[in-house]
Amino acid sequence: MSALPIRFPGGTPIWAPGKEPLPLGISEEERAQWEQMKKWESYTQMAMESCVAKTVLAGGAGFGIGAFFSLMSASFAYEDPYLRQQTQAGLKPHQKAREVFREMGKGMWSSGKGFGKVGALFAGIECVIEGYRAKNDIYNSVSAGFVAGGVLARNSGPKAAIGGGLAFAAFSAAIDLLFLRRETAEED
Amino acid sequence: MSFLGRGSSSQPSGGVNTAKIDLAITELDTVTDFFNRMVSSCHAKCISTRYAEPDLNKGENVCIDRCVAKFNEVQKKVGEKLQNRGAANAGG
Repeated sequence: MSALPIRFPGGTPIWAPGKEPLPLGISEEERAQWEQMKKWESYTQMAMESCVAKTVLAGGAGFGIGAFFSLMSASFAYEDPYLRQQTQAGLKPHQKAREVFREMGKGMWSSGKGFGKVGALFAGIECVIEGYRAKNDIYNSVSAGFVAGGVLARNSGPKAAIGGGLAFAAFSAAIDLLFLRRETAEED
Repeated sequence: MSFLGRGSSSQPSGGVNTAKIDLAITELDTVTDFFNRMVSSCHAKCISTRYAEPDLNKGENVCIDRCVAKFNEVQKKVGEKLQNRGAANAGG
């Protein structure tokens, strides 16, 4: 009789509702709690895999990278004695320090915003395209790169926008082919 | 659609009971077969053979959702048509 739970690999076990087996360590009294926890876990997983979450995370990562690069380059900019002489003519030391930090903060903020925009745009568009096509291949990144490049260069005229889109698409394709979709060696 | 509940509550006197149990067995076989077919068909269509990471991609997730929904729809429609044909055969 095939109503018994089939116990070979790939078979479909069928349990009476409410009597599915609990993992080890969970008793019957905790069943409701366990199922509640599982439900909220599945909601969290759905939220984490959604396009909005991916866009926000990519934007945040872009902001961080932009701020970091700006921080590194700000120290080099400060080392220029001619610039220092011009902008900090007769200030006292603690005012000079405050000016330095303010400049650094402004640079970090603007650079971070730029990179964050790029990251969020690319990740969001790629997620939407992949969700629409229901396929996972390289055309998602290439198209997302093209659209993101076009959007970022939209104020410089149509030719510049298309050129920027093509450049970003090529860059994205290169990164994907060389780093993300590389065939790993078979491990024996 | 499910007869499993009613089958166990009738009196234990052979006859009607075995008919209902047979119906329940057939239904369970049908559901298991449906599930297995759906799993293997949607797996063949949606999940690539290159296993690069353990989690499902967004594309694969979306594909599986759509595949299961379509399979359910088709199963319902086919079931309705079979029922209508069965009723027509029984009536006519």
